[in-house]
Parts: sequence; structure tokens; C-alpha cells
Amino acid sequence: MKTYLPFIVAGLTNGSIYGMAAVGLVLTYKTSGIFNFAHGAQAALAAYLMFEFRERVGMPWPLAGLLSLLLAGVVAGLILERGAYLLASASVAARVTATVGLLVFIQGVLIAIFGSASLPIKAFLPQKLVKLPGVNVRGEQIIIVALVLVAVGGLYLFFTRAKLGLATQAVVDDPALLGLAGTSPTAVRRFAWLVGSCFAAASGMLLAPTLALDARLLTLLVFFAFGAAAVGAFSSLPLTYLGGIGIGIGAALVTKVVGEHGWQGPVQSLPVNLPFIVLFVALLVTPTRKLVERGSQVVRRPLAPLTFSRRTNLVGGAAGLAVAVVVPHVVGAKLPIYITALAYVILFASLGLLVRTSGQVSLCHIAFAAVGASTAARAVGAGFPWPLAVLVAGLMAVPIGALLAIPAIRLSGVYLAIATFGFGLVMQRLFYASMFMFGGTFAIRSPRPKLGGLHTNTDVGYYYVVLGVAVACLALVVLVRRSRMGRLLRAFADAPTAVDAHGTNTNELKVLVFSLSAFMAGIAGALIGPITGTAAAASGVDVGGFDFSVSLLLITVLFVAGRQPVLSAVVGSVLLVVIPSYATGETAQKWNPIIFGSLAILAAIVGGRSLVEWLRSSRRLRERAAEGSPVRARAAVPELSLEGAR
Amino acid sequence: MSLTAEPLAAAGPVVDAPDLVVEHLTVRFGGLVAVDDVSLQARGGVITGLIGPNGAGKTTTFNACTGLNSPTAGTVHLGPRKLDGHSSAWRARLGLGRTFQRMELFDTMTVAENIGLGREALVAGRRRWTGRLFATPAEGTLCHDAAARAMEHCGIPHLAGSTVGDLSTGQRRLVELARAMAGGFRFLLLDEPSSGLDVSETELFAGILNGLVEREGIGILLVEHDMALVRAVCSYIYVLDFGRLIYEGSAADVLSAEIVKAAYLGSEAAEVH
Repeated sequence: MKTYLPFIVAGLTNGSIYGMAAVGLVLTYKTSGIFNFAHGAQAALAAYLMFEFRERVGMPWPLAGLLSLLLAGVVAGLILERGAYLLASASVAARVTATVGLLVFIQGVLIAIFGSASLPIKAFLPQKLVKLPGVNVRGEQIIIVALVLVAVGGLYLFFTRAKLGLATQAVVDDPALLGLAGTSPTAVRRFAWLVGSCFAAASGMLLAPTLALDARLLTLLVFFAFGAAAVGAFSSLPLTYLGGIGIGIGAALVTKVVGEHGWQGPVQSLPVNLPFIVLFVALLVTPTRKLVERGSQVVRRPLAPLTFSRRTNLVGGAAGLAVAVVVPHVVGAKLPIYITALAYVILFASLGLLVRTSGQVSLCHIAFAAVGASTAARAVGAGFPWPLAVLVAGLMAVPIGALLAIPAIRLSGVYLAIATFGFGLVMQRLFYASMFMFGGTFAIRSPRPKLGGLHTNTDVGYYYVVLGVAVACLALVVLVRRSRMGRLLRAFADAPTAVDAHGTNTNELKVLVFSLSAFMAGIAGALIGPITGTAAAASGVDVGGFDFSVSLLLITVLFVAGRQPVLSAVVGSVLLVVIPSYATGETAQKWNPIIFGSLAILAAIVGGRSLVEWLRSSRRLRERAAEGSPVRARAAVPELSLEGAR
Repeated sequence: MSLTAEPLAAAGPVVDAPDLVVEHLTVRFGGLVAVDDVSLQARGGVITGLIGPNGAGKTTTFNACTGLNSPTAGTVHLGPRKLDGHSSAWRARLGLGRTFQRMELFDTMTVAENIGLGREALVAGRRRWTGRLFATPAEGTLCHDAAARAMEHCGIPHLAGSTVGDLSTGQRRLVELARAMAGGFRFLLLDEPSSGLDVSETELFAGILNGLVEREGIGILLVEHDMALVRAVCSYIYVLDFGRLIYEGSAADVLSAEIVKAAYLGSEAAEVH
């Protein structure tokens, strides 16, 4: 027992921080219906600010801490409250994309300013050892546990005792009613975002000294909060706090056990992945009725995407194809970038099928591509002919996609997004290094095809191979959208209940669309590896990486690229892959997340449409606003209709 | 997917008009009893009303009939077939259709597509494998014709090409009804179909409903707030309050019953008098 105590103490300390971050997350979600994926990025922001003020400007730590709390907590909280208000009636996909965009944006800014390498950071709380029975504890640990207990306990008391606290609980259930009762829902929301943001900021500042200052790591670590929030069913604050503690201690104990037995391989990363596993399991076992989707009752009617005439489609398609055919002869040494771009066209098309056509959010799309890339490489290595290997790669991704349809059947909207997010992370952290995928070196040889007498292993030859596959995939998307399945999927995106009520089982539809989308993403992945000759689990789009952060970039770019199934795939790929390649040096890598993160937020706020669509539709929206809401007005006065009956 | 035998096809005009029979239905949400031991029988070939104040359990009863919630107790039959435990889609394929209070329409699609899907979703649900994914030309014609008939009946052929999200509430109500009609269901549950309609639109709607029952011979259970519509179309009425059945009778009986006035219409009704 004694050997476990230090681990329990360390776990309790980290767990308290996760608990606090998670309570902040749940608080904002409950009051605004916006699940803040950028919560961890906010924590990272606070930690970096404190580092800057304290170690570079030279302020004493209490002042630096307070200033960081003011900026990353209070000011950011007020800004986020406004953003959440603007997003209140947006679709689920738009709400998810907006905060994912914010995550990408904040992380991008931090990396652009401070670099992506982790920085050493000095502890600011007392490190003196205190002797307790059986274990030595650092002063810092006692302070953190006590501080969080006071903060969370105070919030809980406030909720159960104070008027504003009680009102906070009511605000999402019925903001209008609360307004009538004399409490401003805006004040309540502002309060929640203030507290939630301050909790995020504080957790970032407390967590950074025990690790290192690393934007990616910090953003990810406060995702530990997701697991804790899931324990509290994204609703109960005390359970969420306890969930954080439990995850902290659990992770520490697993570390101890794994270390003791000297286990190797993926199991070593089990401690850091525990929260995602908790998250995934909690989402799978929590009764659906407890996972109430907040704020989804007020979603505005979606508008139809822009459509073009048949003639425009044909002429545009032919022109696009002509340009694509000429590309290898005009771009010179940049050709590999264009091959990557073609593979990304397939990736965007498959994501669009899922997100735009069927209205379901996937934050793990690159994981399907990773499965495809590693499978194709291994299949070719095992002597499969190249085309068959690519096909097998796509097929291998299908069961993974179908597996993800299981949470999709149980969960909808934002909970599905959270589940896919956790799934993508678990895939990367537990399976990328496995011998089935990229192996311990995270890289695997992936040769180009030798098809008959054609020079398909040269850059130009391989470009045309990938072009052929991309055109086939786009044709498949068009075919699917025009088929019965496409009609049912579009109907499902607009009104899933009605599809069931008319005789088609929507669960089957979900499995189908996830499988098809995963298949295409798997093919895209299989095509990416041979560009450099190596399929690698590295980060970054330009190097053909499969890091989970690419999934987040994909969905933000898709939102910026619009909603036409084929055009948005091409536009998205040009935006994400081609244009940045013409920026010099590291600039593109730096600016990509910043630009797409902010554009995605904008696109989500203007209604999940591209800007062109928004301009066209604003007229229709005004007309609709003028029409008012006769439904509510009518239902409230039944006696008038009685009079009409006489 | 249900492993139970597929229900019989109900294509074309309905020859048999099954009753919808609810027996001792109880639905609890945690500690709240939303529907408490409700029994009712809605006959085929006529329109039956289900009225009551907000929160009386009307929509919950509907959801129990169509499989959107799990009742704590009680059974639901459509004709001789027991529906309990089956999915929403299965019940639809058996011939039980519905509309929604909050109008579950395919907003980004056109009126014709919406109404055509009313039949296509049913056809797709009955087919296997590729039939679920791709329509045969014959099925395409079938859905198109069903949609055309339904639009004709509801007087909205001129809206066929409009996007549903852009329509007025009254037009949207008609689209939802037409979509349910195109499904060729043998029994329809209509959840407050006239809310949001003005007086003339409601009159029009009553005519369409009566015409539908006459022509297709199907039964309808109607949840409705609008007494004008209830009076105009319902042959028999059930009244719910706080999840319990408090009265049943003919339209004239119910509208003059004191207990109904007290429970449903409240003091505001007295002021109207």
C-alpha cells in the first residue's frame, strides 16, 4: 500500500485539476448548449500568458497569474459568451466546428509565437516537502487540491443556495421563461462563461509546471476533462469533479502498475489514454435519456445548398478535369503537393458525405485514412498487386467506420462529435504504433505502383493514377447523392425522426454512411503513403501525416469550403494543401491553423454556409423573420379558436 | 433491424381500414407519470380526436403508438397486429403513419422531393440489400405518382419545386400531411396539424382531412387544439388531462361537458362566454 501512496497523491493532484477544468466545461455547456472543444486550448493560453508575464517580462508570479486569469479567463469568457449567443440557433455541426475552429486557432497562435517545442517552466507554488503519515507530499500538491476543492465546492454551494445559481440551471431549459421571471438569461450565461473560462485558465496554469509548456500537450491534457465530464453525464457538477479525481488517481495507478511489470508496447500509453477510454465507455453505457442535448430545441431551419444547372455542372466539371490533366506539365517540382491535394480531394469528399450530406460530425476522419495507409503499405509488402492493396485498404477501414456507427446509433449531435473525437485520439495513441498499423517507428514503406508497362512510379505517372481514383471517388459521391440512399441521407440530415416514421430504419443508414465514408477515407490514405514512399504517422498535412489534429483541420476547412459535394472537396483541398505550399518556409504551417480556425468560426456563425451562400440567403432569412413565429402565438390562445367554432 | 416477418405491403388505395387500439397505456419518465392507464379505440374510416391542455400527455401517447418511447405498461394494436416492442420504421411499414407537432420536414429539399420521400422511405424499408440503396424505374414512377396524387389532394401542386424551408407555416403543414398521404398508410396520427394556421387555412385543412378519409377509407387520430377543426372533422373525441383520460364522447357532448371546460379550457373559456 505504501508504495502506492505517492501515486495516489500525484493522481489526486492532477485529478483535482482535471475535475476543475471539467466542471468549467460542463457549466458552460449546460448554460449555453455550446460544448467548448477549445476549453483545453484556453487552459494552454493561460499557461503561456503566465509564462510570458513571469519569466520573460519578469513579473512576480501572483501578478502574472492574476493577469493571465484576467485575460484568458475573464476577457476570453466575455468574448466566448457573445460567440455562444451568436451560435445558439446554429446546427450541431456548425456549433461543433466553431469551437473546434477556436481550438485550432488558439493552438496555432501559441505555436506561431512560442514555437512547437515544449518550453521548461518554473514551478511557482511551494515545493517544500510535508511529511504526512506514510507519504511525503509537496506543498504545491496540498495547495492545488485545497484550492480546487474550495473553488468547486463554492460553485456548488452557490448553485444550490443563490438565486443567480438556481437561475443558471434554468437558463438552458427555458431562457424565455427565465427572462419573464425577472432574471436576465444573458447575465446568467455571462456568469457561466466567466466562471467556466476562469476554471479552464486556472487549470492550465496549475498543470503546466508539472509537465512542460507545450501547446499540443496542454490542449490535449485538459481533454482529460472530457472523460470527467462524461462521468457526470455532461450535467452533474459534483459527479464531474469526482470523475476528474477518479481519472487522475486511476491514471497514476495504471502508470505504477505498468511500470512495475515493465509492460511494453501500446499498453505503456494506457495511463494517458485512460480518460478517452473512460469517455468512450461512458458515452456507450450512459442511458441515452440522461445525455440530453442542450440547446438543440431552437435550431433554425437549414437552408438548401446552392445548386447549379446541369449545364454549369458539366462545363465546370470538364474544365476542372482539363486543368487537373494539365497540372503536371506546369507546376514543375511542386507536383508531389498536387498529388497530395488529389488524395485530399477524396478525403474531403468522404468527410462531406458524412458531415454535409448526412449531417453527422466526425472528428476522427484522418484515423480512417491512417488505417488505409498502413493497410495498403502492409498489403503491398505482403505481395498484393497494388490496385488490390488499395481496395483492401478501403475495405479495412469499413469495419472501423461501422464500429463508430455504434455510438452514432446511440448518440446524436454533439455527443457523437465528442465520441468520434475520443475515438480518433485512442486510435492514434493506442493503435498507430501497433504492428498492425505503422509499427514502433511510426513509419512504413509504401511503394508506388508498377502497372503494366506504364511509368506509374514516376511523379507524373503516379499523379495520373491518383487523379483517376479521385475522379472515380467524386463520381461515386455524385452517384450516391442522386441515388435512393442519397435522398434518404439528405432527408435524415434534415429530420431523422421523419425518416423512421416513414419506414426506413435510420440506424442502418448510419452504419452505411459511416462505412462508405470510411472506405473512401481509407482509399485516400492508401494513396497518400506512396507520394513520399513512406506512410508515416507524423503530423502536418504537407508531409502526408495522419495526426489526429489533421481531422480537426479537415472539418474546419470543409466548413469554409462550402456545401456543394464535389466543389467543396476541390476547394477544401486547394485551400488546405495547394495554396499553403506556395508560402515560403515554415510560414504556411504556422498560418494554416490560424487562418482556417478563424474562418471556420466565422463560417459557423454565419450559419454553416460558405460566405457566398450566406449573402444569398440573408434576404430569405429576413423574410422569414418578418413572418414571425405564428406556431407559438397560436398555441397559446386556444380559446380564440373555440369562439370560431360557435 | 427487426427479425420479425415483414408486414404486408399496403400499396395503392386501402381496402381494409384497421382500428388503432390502445389499452391501459402508461408512460413514465423517471418519477413523472406522463400517461396514466389510458385506453382508447380509434376506428378505421373515421377521424377520432384526442384533446387536452398542454402537457396532458397527447404527444406522449402518440410517441408510444409509433415507437418513439418505451411505455411502462399497456399495449397498442393496429388491427390484429400488436405493435409493442417494434421499431418506429417497422410500425410505419405495417401502415401506421404520423405527422409531428414541430413539423419534421426535409427543409433543404423541394416539396416534391419531400412528398416523394414519404413513399420512397417506405419502399426502401421493405426492400433488401441494393433495393435499400437504389430505386428501380418502376419504384421511381410509383413514388412520383403517389407524390403527385397527394399534392393534388392537398392543393399544392404549384409548390412542387419550392424548397420546403422557405415556405410559410400553413404551406408546411400541408406538405407534411401530403407526405404522410403519399406513404399510403392505413392509419394516420396527426399531431396538432392546424397549429400555426389561420381560420381560412384551418377550414381548408378540415376539408382536406374529410376528403382524405372519404377517398382512402383510412382512420385518423387527431391531436388538436383548434376546436373549430375538431368539431368539423371528429366523429368521436377523447379528452386527456394530467395523463389521464377524463372524458370521451361525440364532438357535441365533449364541447359542452363541464369537466372538459374546467380542465381543458380553464377560466379563459369562461371569459369568452
